[in-house]
Amino acid sequence: MSREPTDAERYPTLSEAGRAMLRFMSEHPSAPMLRNRSGNRLLAEEVEDLRAYEREVAAARFAWSTRHAPPWLDAFVDEVFAQVPHYRSLGRPAGFAQIATVGRGDLAADIAQFVPDAVPLDRLINFRTTGTTGHPLILPSHPLVAGRYLAFHQRALRRAGIELRHGRGQVGVMLLGLQRKCFTYISVTPTMDESGLAKINLHPDDWRDPADRARYLDAMQPEVIAGDPISFAALLELPVRHRPRALLSVSMALSASLRANLSERFGCPVLDVYSMNEAGPLGVYDETLDAFVLLQPRMYVETLDAHGHPVPQGQSGEIALTGGFNFCLPLLRYRTGDHGVLIDTPEGPAIAQLHGRQPVRFLTLDGDWINNIDLTHALLPLPLSRYTVHQAANGDVAVALARAEMNYASEAANRVSAALRGRDIRVIELTSEDKVLQYTTDLPGGMAA
Amino acid sequence: MSMPAGPSLERLLRRLIETPPDFLAPPWRGGEGQVRVAAVVNDVLAALDVQAPMSLLATLSGELKAVSAEQLSLSAVLAWLLADDAWHRFAKASPALPALFAEAVPALAAEAHASRYVFEPERREELARTAIARLGLTPEGETASQAADRLASVSGVERRRLLEASREAEARARAIREALARKAAEESADKWTRE
Repeated sequence: MSREPTDAERYPTLSEAGRAMLRFMSEHPSAPMLRNRSGNRLLAEEVEDLRAYEREVAAARFAWSTRHAPPWLDAFVDEVFAQVPHYRSLGRPAGFAQIATVGRGDLAADIAQFVPDAVPLDRLINFRTTGTTGHPLILPSHPLVAGRYLAFHQRALRRAGIELRHGRGQVGVMLLGLQRKCFTYISVTPTMDESGLAKINLHPDDWRDPADRARYLDAMQPEVIAGDPISFAALLELPVRHRPRALLSVSMALSASLRANLSERFGCPVLDVYSMNEAGPLGVYDETLDAFVLLQPRMYVETLDAHGHPVPQGQSGEIALTGGFNFCLPLLRYRTGDHGVLIDTPEGPAIAQLHGRQPVRFLTLDGDWINNIDLTHALLPLPLSRYTVHQAANGDVAVALARAEMNYASEAANRVSAALRGRDIRVIELTSEDKVLQYTTDLPGGMAA
Repeated sequence: MSMPAGPSLERLLRRLIETPPDFLAPPWRGGEGQVRVAAVVNDVLAALDVQAPMSLLATLSGELKAVSAEQLSLSAVLAWLLADDAWHRFAKASPALPALFAEAVPALAAEAHASRYVFEPERREELARTAIARLGLTPEGETASQAADRLASVSGVERRRLLEASREAEARARAIREALARKAAEESADKWTRE
């Protein structure tokens, strides 16, 4: 068993002002229960590196389009084939298009094969993800990589005319969840002069008094609020007076109506960010273009057919990624499971008609809505390679498991039934070999927002 | 799997058979001997547009007790092999050339005397194939996997190298899995959004 990290490791550059910010966020009378600990983990020189990285990302332009690949592609592929065990064992094919694609299943099978030789392991961190295909995944990352997210958020915010300005003594961002079980903690952002960061759960169970949720948000006054459509739908229900400068929505598709409601209610831009653990923030939705404008000039995006061949221009295909900013996991023709149409815009490439991230709510037996993430958590202890959950229009729920995993049928049914407070669950065999939509519903209120 | 094609194996084997006796004469070592190996290797590398590292020239100078006569002799034989014109097409300025002398030769020299790499067919094939493989090439007309299989079948050194590489790869993979499972890794680090 490895030891518990210390605060010096969580916040290596913490000043007295940063310490005061942590106290402010955790000791406020309306503060929620904070169930976890984490931190920025950034060393002083890495904070400087990140500032330089933010400037670089702000100025970077896309050197590729739907008609031509990026000039850096060949050198990147060379490096991956030399440094990454999975690719080294295959040997480099003659052309980029001949490189076999990989998917979540490949990463889930043995993530170690995808970590480059040169990556030092002493400061490796991980991000866990269950995604929509049912392959649970632990992704290697690094504090610098986590810190780099902000550079892409800033790029997205700048498009909406927002330059972040919060710093010492202020809360920079509040991340909202709405789950039974949610990782919650507080930290500071060193590149923003130790502005506060709080990741909180809006579920009433995490608060001494549910009314504290709005009080806490009003007291913290975060410059930016980040969340997903489900937590933002809950935010709309709270009597919050604070007006953040922007909302960042990730993880799932944000409907036009929820975006409009949020924007009207909070009087600020609502950015729908297409982001995934494997790659970070990839694109931000632009209403005029009706497409997600890409944010990472060093990420090459292809749209592929079922055989891994690029689809003709203008057609929808599976989004595959090459490049990225996570040096612990360089992506090479990584199939995301999401689909869209790649288009060119004056700002660079964009993805239109993106789909694959629809959030789903399930109705419990006693009439409450719960998030599909709660079902993911309920089934997490079972070693299922993939599964689906479907709720019919009459409320009946069917769980589908792979044939080889039907021995978990009764346990899966019990767990889903408990999450849905006693609903009867039917377990059936999963027949599709392809990627499946994991959570589906026929109930009118099931497509959350 | 594809690797760039290199010279013909037959041509290199013929070249080894034709090794001039001078190259197998006792190397200059500890104030005695005839073949100045460092100079020979330096010339051959220079002809291939590669500057011999000072450390390699010191190793082959004959002044270091720890460097065996077998290693010096085999270095001379390898220099003869690399002096074939065929290499000008395939290995000009190759950064892997010095490592052939620094890494492959000591391992091969520990297995057999240099003369056996000239006079015995299987050892000749081992030396020629090792040179081609370590330069990232395949013998003309062979696929990478055929070349790798054949080298492993003629070379005990290669078999041990592969075993060691697979052990190292497994150790690294294990270390990655352990690092990802540490509490510090589980706690992760700040991102402004969480997917």
